[in-house]
Amino acid sequence: MRAVVVLAHPDPQSFSHALADRACAALRDAGHDVTLHDLYAEGFGAVMSEGERHAYHGDQPVRDPLVAAHVADVQSAQALVFVYPTWVSTLPAILKGWLERVMVPGVGFRFNKSGRVVPGLTHVRKIVGISVYGAPRRAVWLANDNGRRTLVRAMRLSTGVRTRSRWLALYSIDATQPEDRAAFLDSVGAAMGEL
Amino acid sequence: MKAFVVAFHPSRESLHAAMLDRVLAGLRAGGAEVRLADLAAEGFRAELSLDERRAYRTPLAPGDRPDIDAHVDALRWCDTLVFVYPTWWSGQPAALTGWLDRVFGNGVAWSFPPGAKRPQPLLGNVGRVVAVTTHGSSKLINAIQGEPGKRVLSRAVRGMCRGVRTRFTWLAMYGVDHSTREQRQAFLDRVEAKMRSLS
Repeated sequence: MRAVVVLAHPDPQSFSHALADRACAALRDAGHDVTLHDLYAEGFGAVMSEGERHAYHGDQPVRDPLVAAHVADVQSAQALVFVYPTWVSTLPAILKGWLERVMVPGVGFRFNKSGRVVPGLTHVRKIVGISVYGAPRRAVWLANDNGRRTLVRAMRLSTGVRTRSRWLALYSIDATQPEDRAAFLDSVGAAMGEL
Repeated sequence: MKAFVVAFHPSRESLHAAMLDRVLAGLRAGGAEVRLADLAAEGFRAELSLDERRAYRTPLAPGDRPDIDAHVDALRWCDTLVFVYPTWWSGQPAALTGWLDRVFGNGVAWSFPPGAKRPQPLLGNVGRVVAVTTHGSSKLINAIQGEPGKRVLSRAVRGMCRGVRTRFTWLAMYGVDHSTREQRQAFLDRVEAKMRSLS
């Protein structure tokens, strides 16, 4: 299986980076082909440009070579793995912008003759979210867990309803001990090994 | 009324630019004082930087980040916070998500005093949050997706104001991809009238 791991955290020393490394290692050990995209390290721009917006409904919505490289990887993937910290109850802007700029018409979806959205990524069989939250589980649930909703529900407009999702979350990160984080890393490794 | 309008529109010719014009016209006609953060016009940086992340535990001090100082001032000054944007991928566009990531930080929207179990909200001055937005897809599709954009504002953002004692006003046009010019005009008229009636 081919997996694309998308990582969104500005600090190379972050726990999110450790999670992405563990996920990649476990996927490779299980024989999968893995591509990691560290959005901050690549200098991925979060905001869709005015030129991209104007081209959005045309034949060539992808204008940026970096975006084109991401599109090519996503189009050959069977698994998409997102690793990020939840901020303001949703995705960091750089990851939200990744959805907006990479999952454009013709890639993530297309419009049929009557203008309805048709999935464009039906080859993606698994969506995995790995996120750390400052808030406790109950507060995350009360706020609607918006990042998870976006990746698991909105994304499946692109992949089709048959795509399975797996959600791996560590809540109340600021209150955790090193052994809690080590246990979470192990659980991420185990889950990726079985994917 | 003191209204702080935070807007993102992808281009000057868009419906969203017209929405912003009508929001401002309605607020001013109602006698509100208005401050505006037009994120596209400002070229606002959406990505929270490494330095900003590392400073996360230290409350923001005036002058730390010149590009958000005016936004922070306006946030503390306003009693009504208005967001104007297109809904993309079921939520705020990245520019506005990034505005929340960067401006709704420690010492501005919340603080974590020693001994506290959870962050304490700091925006008790905000008595109303308003969202003016469009959705390409239908209300049903958005309901199935769980309305993440709406909930970010009505729950997470409002939670840093007065919680449920902050009023929430949701002005959304669904199905804009299949709408007629008349429907869009009617929505713009409704937005302007509602804004005028807020003060």
